[in-house]
Amino acid sequence: MTRLGRSPVLVTNPVVRFLARRLLYSIVVLIGVLVVVFALVHVVPGDPVRIALGTRYTPQAYDALRSASGMDRPLIEQFFGYMGSALTGDLGVSFRNGDPVTVTLLERLPATVSLAFVGIVIALLIALPAGIWSALHEGRASDAIVRVTSQFGVSIPDFWMGILLIALFASTLHWLPTSGYRPLFDDPAGWLRHVILPGLTVGLVAAAIMTRYIRSAVLEVAAMGYVRTARSKGLPPRVVTMRHTVRNAAIPVLTITGIQLATILGGVIVVEVVFAWPGLGRLVYNAVAARDYPVIQGAVLLIAALFLLINLIVDALYAVVDPRIRLS
Amino acid sequence: MRTAVGIVASLVMTLSACSTGERVDLGGGSSGRLVAAIAGEPDQLDPNKTSAYFSFEVLENVYDTLVEPDADLQMRPALAESWQVSPDQLTWTFHLRRGVTFHDGSPLTGEDVVYTYRRIIDEELSNADKLSAVTDVRAPDPSTVVIRLQQPTPNLLTNLGGFKGMAIVQRKNVESGQIATHPIGTGPFAFESQKSGDAITLKANGSYWAGAPKVSGVIFRFIPEKSTALSALQVGEIDWTDSIPPQRVNQIKDDDSVNLAVTPSNDYWYLALNEARKPWNDMRIRQAIAYGIDRDAIVAATSYGTAAKNQLAVPKGSFWYTDYNRYHYDIEQAKRLLHEANASPQNLDMLVTTEYPETVTAAQIIADNLAPLGITVNIRTVDFATWLDEQNSGHFDMLMMGWLGNIDPDDFYYAQHHTNGSSNAQKYSNPEVDRLLDAGRVETNQDARAGIYRKAATIIGDECSYIYLYNPSVIQAWTKDMSNYDARRDKAIRFRTASITEGGTQ
Repeated sequence: MTRLGRSPVLVTNPVVRFLARRLLYSIVVLIGVLVVVFALVHVVPGDPVRIALGTRYTPQAYDALRSASGMDRPLIEQFFGYMGSALTGDLGVSFRNGDPVTVTLLERLPATVSLAFVGIVIALLIALPAGIWSALHEGRASDAIVRVTSQFGVSIPDFWMGILLIALFASTLHWLPTSGYRPLFDDPAGWLRHVILPGLTVGLVAAAIMTRYIRSAVLEVAAMGYVRTARSKGLPPRVVTMRHTVRNAAIPVLTITGIQLATILGGVIVVEVVFAWPGLGRLVYNAVAARDYPVIQGAVLLIAALFLLINLIVDALYAVVDPRIRLS
Repeated sequence: MRTAVGIVASLVMTLSACSTGERVDLGGGSSGRLVAAIAGEPDQLDPNKTSAYFSFEVLENVYDTLVEPDADLQMRPALAESWQVSPDQLTWTFHLRRGVTFHDGSPLTGEDVVYTYRRIIDEELSNADKLSAVTDVRAPDPSTVVIRLQQPTPNLLTNLGGFKGMAIVQRKNVESGQIATHPIGTGPFAFESQKSGDAITLKANGSYWAGAPKVSGVIFRFIPEKSTALSALQVGEIDWTDSIPPQRVNQIKDDDSVNLAVTPSNDYWYLALNEARKPWNDMRIRQAIAYGIDRDAIVAATSYGTAAKNQLAVPKGSFWYTDYNRYHYDIEQAKRLLHEANASPQNLDMLVTTEYPETVTAAQIIADNLAPLGITVNIRTVDFATWLDEQNSGHFDMLMMGWLGNIDPDDFYYAQHHTNGSSNAQKYSNPEVDRLLDAGRVETNQDARAGIYRKAATIIGDECSYIYLYNPSVIQAWTKDMSNYDARRDKAIRFRTASITEGGTQ
């Protein structure tokens, strides 16, 4: 019985056990998210039927639309109906236009992933060198410059930065388009041209936050005994920095990168609005405004799933960068 | 950060070497396509069901009505070529234009018209009140539609064609459930595709009954941020937009590369005091508020002076306009009225919504205006869903809102001020006004009818059922490469005759 013989191996393999446990845990979290969201959207005042009808409507029209959209059924019945179909990947249809929510989400996801990916790459390109440099030159002028600049980056509102970038790169220099989105696989060059300004806006804000984290993480490690030992045993400064300081500072860097990435994936509404970017953030925002419950629930579920996925990846990367961390 | 800017700048330069200021191309060869930017995404594309202006901006170009308003808002033939009214005014016979087809090639017949109107009436869609006088609709032959009424209805044509909410739809398209996302109409442009959150693409209908459009299609992009839309227009990425920051109107006027229209519209904004609540049921107290607010300041702050002050609903220039200037900013008069009513209201709960930022801005001025009267205005800013709930359940002392898309005086006054009006959230009731509004619905003599509405409007203004504020302007801008287009006062966006000179953009 090979099957029986194999399964204990699978169960005892720590990586598989880790993944299985995390998956199970993720499903529990997702169900919890669903319950909370379902309760919240129904508690918040505002009636989707009324919104759909606008300001000019008759009570008859109201009742007709309400029963057509299933809103007149008991809440608990609506919830279990939704749960049942959600398990099969059917997230229902939008109250507003009858579009399947799953299709809409999948249509929006690439734009959001593009923006998040480009944003985090830009952020890392800036924050890693700036943070490390600043920490290694603590107290000197260059450190002060990095700190002041990143403080500035944290404080500047992202819509303002977005508008400034449009004014400079689109309106004045005519280098890049003001707004809009192109799918990567249809038009790679167009994708890149359109993603740069929103990516830069998201990236600069994230970079400012991450620079400060990276700086303090490196400073903390640099103060450790083993770094002093490494230095005193005559290792060249570059080797000390790269192998001992930076590598050990990687854990907090991974954490903050994961958090930033998840935040951007969850939707950066303001940036999406400024650049007319068809991401998840605006979808959720508009769905909330219209009380389009199926879209809100589906989008929140997707965002929660993305969050969990990134957590999982970050956890796995912990183990890669630091063998001391067990997958437990 | 410095290095980063360097990296980014060089990356940008490499990229921009590829092309500069390209036109928006959503695939499918966009030469001669007009690119329009609207401020938001349509909620759905079923013209009989949507109530969103963003939807109508698109659908105006996809659908037709039996009749339609011309530039002066007079009703003209559209799908109906001609019509007769019986001597008793109760039977209207419409003769349909021959040879009209839907975008899928199927012919338009009287049955489609009957189906559409029956759908609106039987499913009690929100525009059903436009057909409230209709007792019967039938198509005795494929090119004739007969509508029977229970009472003379002088504004029937406006009801049938005033806006695309009454558009003639195709039964198959409705029954397949496709209409909300893939509408099929008879209009100058056919729906081609929609990218969620991004754009809707229409292609020209070469066999349009009023002549094929001059552009090969229209792309409606959704650009919510007004300053972005304006930048996109100025660099030539888009050809037309109505997503324009009012504070930059003067600056655009000086921009030679852009045409700007600031046209008075038929929309209006008003304040309404809840007459189901004390003390606002007292007319003198409502009048005190009307004297207590500074309309000039409100107009200046909400529209940067682009709107026209008006103390009634119908704008100047309309046949139905009534000159009326009872109120002016006069704190002493307001105090006198409060004294006369022996009332000293302390708090006023004002309901406004972020959906319409002008309401939030105006509320701040009003709060300041009413302070000298000893009234503390508690501004309650909510999202539109909550706003509608609160309005409908009567949880407010005062609210500010606007109405759009009105043409006939019945649209302007009946639903809002008749005791049984469906939009009378302020609970105004005056038997004389009811009588006048009912009479206006059936009076077929145009001048007599105007007299009736003049009287009704004056009472409504005097008694402050609404405290009217202003008519906003239609603000639109388009490139110099675009011609044969005009901003309409009913805010219908018609690209059927617009043309684009190629190669002009960048």
